[in-house]
Amino acid sequence: MSNEDVESGLSRRDLLRILAGVAAANGLGAATWGALEALVPAESADTWHKSVCRFCGTGCGVLVGMSDGRVTDIRGDEIAHNKGVLCVKGSMLRALPYVKGRLTTPKVRRDGKLVDAPWDEAMSLVAQRFKEAIAESGPDAVAFYGSGQLVTEESYTANKLFKAGIRTNNVDGNPRLCMASAATGYTQVYGKDEPPGSYEDIDHADCIFIIGANPFECHPPLFERAQQRRRANQDVKLIVVDPRRTLTAERADIHLAPTPGSDLLLLNAMAQVICAEGLVDTGFIERHVRFSDGQKTVDLAAFKAFLEPYKPETVAAELGVAASQIREIAFLFARSKATTSLWTMGINQRTQGVFLNNMLNALHLITGQFGRPGATPFSLTGQPNACGGVRDVGALGHLLPCGRQVANEKHRHEVEKLWGVPDGTISEKPGLDAVNLFRAMEDGRVKAALVMCTNPAQSLPAADRYRAAMEKCFLAVAEIFQDSETAQLADVLLPAALWVEKEGVVGQGERRYQLIEKLLEPPAQARSDLQILVDLADRLGHGALIKSRAPKDVWNEWRLFSESSLYNFKGMTYERLKKERGLQWPCPDETHPGTVRRYVEGSDPLVSRGAGIEFYGQPDKKAVVFLRPYVPSPEKRSAEFPLYLTTGRVLEQWHTATMTGRIGELARASGDAAIEVSEREAWTLKIATGDKVEVKSRYGALQGRARVTSSTPQGIVFATFHDAKLLINRVVADNVDAASKQPEYKVTAVSLRKVVG
Amino acid sequence: MEAATLVRLLGTVFCLAGVGLCWKIARTRFNALSPEKQVSVGNARMSQAAFWKLAAFAGIVALPFATVAVANYHTFEGVHQVGSCARCHVMLPMVNDMLNPASGTLAARHFKNRWIPQDQCYGCHSDYGLSGNLQAKMESFRHLARYTTRTYSEPIRMRGRFNNDNCLKCHQGMPQFKAGKSHETAAALLADSSMSCLNCHGQAHPTRDQRTPGSADYTKLMEEMK
Repeated sequence: MSNEDVESGLSRRDLLRILAGVAAANGLGAATWGALEALVPAESADTWHKSVCRFCGTGCGVLVGMSDGRVTDIRGDEIAHNKGVLCVKGSMLRALPYVKGRLTTPKVRRDGKLVDAPWDEAMSLVAQRFKEAIAESGPDAVAFYGSGQLVTEESYTANKLFKAGIRTNNVDGNPRLCMASAATGYTQVYGKDEPPGSYEDIDHADCIFIIGANPFECHPPLFERAQQRRRANQDVKLIVVDPRRTLTAERADIHLAPTPGSDLLLLNAMAQVICAEGLVDTGFIERHVRFSDGQKTVDLAAFKAFLEPYKPETVAAELGVAASQIREIAFLFARSKATTSLWTMGINQRTQGVFLNNMLNALHLITGQFGRPGATPFSLTGQPNACGGVRDVGALGHLLPCGRQVANEKHRHEVEKLWGVPDGTISEKPGLDAVNLFRAMEDGRVKAALVMCTNPAQSLPAADRYRAAMEKCFLAVAEIFQDSETAQLADVLLPAALWVEKEGVVGQGERRYQLIEKLLEPPAQARSDLQILVDLADRLGHGALIKSRAPKDVWNEWRLFSESSLYNFKGMTYERLKKERGLQWPCPDETHPGTVRRYVEGSDPLVSRGAGIEFYGQPDKKAVVFLRPYVPSPEKRSAEFPLYLTTGRVLEQWHTATMTGRIGELARASGDAAIEVSEREAWTLKIATGDKVEVKSRYGALQGRARVTSSTPQGIVFATFHDAKLLINRVVADNVDAASKQPEYKVTAVSLRKVVG
Repeated sequence: MEAATLVRLLGTVFCLAGVGLCWKIARTRFNALSPEKQVSVGNARMSQAAFWKLAAFAGIVALPFATVAVANYHTFEGVHQVGSCARCHVMLPMVNDMLNPASGTLAARHFKNRWIPQDQCYGCHSDYGLSGNLQAKMESFRHLARYTTRTYSEPIRMRGRFNNDNCLKCHQGMPQFKAGKSHETAAALLADSSMSCLNCHGQAHPTRDQRTPGSADYTKLMEEMK
C-alpha cells in the first residue's frame, strides 16, 4: 500500500499537546507516589530510644518507642549484640513502668504498720538508726545489701560510702546468691574475675556444652543464638547436662541427667578420659597452663594420677550416667573444632560451686579449647548488672574495685589512694557474705541495714530463718513496690525509680557496659537509688567523700579509677556509650573498639606483643588447672528425706517476679508455681496434678499444689522460686560453698506427702 | 520457554507495534483520505479512510489496552517472584542471605526447609487476601519510585511494623505454637502486631550493620549471587 500522498510533519501545536500529556502523566505518577507515602503505615511510636532490657544478665539491647511521653513499644535492637532478639519478658517491658502497686511515697513503721512519711523524716530516721548502731557497736554493726539490679553508679557509690566512709566492709548482695562461685572460680584460674569470651563465640562453636543451665527459659536470646548456629550447621553438637529434662535438654543432641549434686564426678571423669585417650593439647598446656592441688604447683602427671579414681566406669553408678556417654561427650568436647561451655546456677549454687567452676575452665585449658572463635568457657549471668555493677565494682564483702581484695593490704592502700582517703581507712576485715550477714542480723551483730533493689526475704535459702533475722534488724528498704516480701519486713520504705526512670550504666555477662538513658520521670516521690545514697551520705557526715552526685559524674570517677587496673575501661565515656551499643572491657582509650576475647593478642590490648595468649592476671602469666576432688553434698537422701528438691525458673518470670509477676500477659502464661513431681513418685504417693502436697526438709516445710510432669525424673522434685505464694526457699538447704559462700539452692533432701483433707 | 518470558515478549511486541502505529497515525492527514480509494488487507478490501480509522483504533485503543493488560499481568504476577526483588541491589543482601543454606536467619530457614515453597519474599511481605495484595502493590510502587529517583539510603529499613498475620497464618494453632503459653496470653498483642513475633523468634534478615555498604558482611552478601 502506498500512502505517501497523505503523510506530513507534526505541527507545533501537536507537539505541545504531546508534551502536556507527558507532563500530566508524570504529575499523576508523582501524585500517586505522594499519596502512597502518606498511606503506608508509619512508625508505631513518635520517637525511638536505644536502651537495655531490665531483666536478666543477657543484657539485651532494646529500642524503646515513646509517644506522648509514655513508653508505647519495645523492639529488639538489631544493632546491639543480641541482633534484635529478645524474649517474651523483654517484649513486655513496655508495661513495666505502668504496673500497679508502685511505691510512690516513703513509709516508716509506726505501731507495727508502715505509714506515709516525708522523705526528710524517713531519711532522718535511717541516718539516726545507722548512727546509733555505729556508736553502740562500731561500723560493722551496719550493712548494705544490694544487687545486680542497681546501676553501676549506684553500686559504686554504696561501696565507697560504706567501705571508705562508714568504714565497714559489710557490703554484699544478691550476686552472692547467684554468681559468687563463678567469680571465685575465674579469679582462682585466671587471677582476675569475668569471662574470657563473648556471646559471639556461640556463633562459631562446633560443640556447645551446657551444664547446670536452662537458657531456653532463663537466657532465651542466647539459646536462640545457639539454635541459630545449629540450624546453620547440622554438625554442631548440643550437649546438655541437667538432672531434669528441661526445655533446653529437650532440644539437645545428647542429654545427660546426673543425680543432683554429683556432677563434679562427671567433669573429673571427662578430664580423665581426655587425659587417658591423648586428647590433651600438650602445646597449649606447656605454654599457658600451671597445675595446682590448691596448695602447691604440681605437674600434668600428678593431674593424671589425681583423675585415676574418676574413670567413667568407676563413677557411673553414683553419677547416674552411663560410662559410654561420659566417654562420648569427653571426646566431642575435646575434639570439636571449637567448644563453648555455658553454665549458670546449676553449677554456681552448689557447695562445690567453685570446684565445678575450676574444673569447667580446666577442661577448656587442657584441651586448648580457648581463645579461638567459638572456644571458650562462659558462665552466664543471672542479673542485669551483677558483672558490671557488683563484681567489677567490688560491691561484695571480700572485694574492692577492679578485682582487688579486702584482705590484701596493698590493694586496700591502692583503693584508699584512689578514693583520696587516709591509709588505714578501709577495714582489713572482710565484710560478711550474704548468708552470714543475715545470720549476723539474727544474733544482733548487725543492727541496721540498707537493702536496695532486691528481695532477700524471698530469695535467701532457709527463708524462714532469715526472714526472722530481718525482723530483728532495723531495715531500710529502697523498693519499687510496696508489697514485696522484703518491703513487708521494712522499718523504712524508700520509693525507688525503675529502669528508664533513671540514668546509669549496666554491665552484662560478656564484660559489656551499656548505658540506660532516662526517658521517664519516676512516679510521685520516687527517687533514684543514687539520690538516696547521696542523701544518706550527707546525713551520715560523709558528703565530702561522695563528691560525684550525678550518674555521669560517678561514671567518670569510676571510669578513671579503672585505669589503674587490669579492668581498664577508661575509653568508655558517656558520650561513646550514648552512641554505641555497649563496649566490652578492657577498653583503655576512646578509640579502642573493646575486647571480644580477653587474654588473646589482637583482641585484648593488655596482652604483651608476641604472646599469643597471655593470662596476665596471674603472676607467672599462666592459667591454673586445679585438682579438685569430688565431695558429696552435705544434703543426703535418707529414709526421712528420700527425694532431692531442686529449684529454678520459668520462661515468663524473672527472679522473684516482683516486676514480671505484675504484667498480666506474663503472669497468666507462667501461672502459679507448683511442686513438680515425677510420674513414678506420683504413682507411688498417689498424687495427681492439682493435689495439695507438703514438701519438708531439715530447714522447713511448705504446702502447695502438685504438678505431675515427665520432665522431672524419679527421685527429684522441682519448684520455681518466683512465686511468693509458694515460697520454696523456705525449704531450701542452708549450706554454702566454703570459698565463694554461695548457697546451695540446687540440692536439698526432702520428703513429699499428699495432704489429705 | 517460561510463561513469564512469553508474557514479557508479547507485551514488548504489543508495545512496539502500538508505538509504530501511533507514529504513523500522527503523520497521517485524515481529512485528505479518499473514501473511494480502496486498500487491500489480505483478502479484505476497504476504503483508505476506513483502513486508517481501524488503524487509529488499533494504535490508540486496542494495542495500548493489550499492552497495559499484559504489563499489569506481568507486574502483578512477576513481582511475586524472588528474582523480581533481587533486581534492586538494595534487596540483594536479603535475597542472597535467604538463598544461603548456612545462614540462620528466619528467611533462610524458611527457604532452605521449603516451609514456603515459592515466591518466598511475597509470601511473607504481602498481607493476607485482596487488601494484602493491593497493599503490596502500593508498597511496590513506592519502592519503585524511591529506587528510580534514588530517594533512599542504605541500609534500607522497613517502614512501619511487620504484620504478624504473615507469621500467624501458618503458625497459629500449630502444636509448637500452642506449647508457648505466652502466645495465648499475649494473643491480643500478637494479633494487632503491637508485639512483634520477631522479638523472640529471631532475626528475619541480615542486620542493618551487615547490610551497610563498606562492611565486610555487605561485600560478602553482595558477592554470593555471582
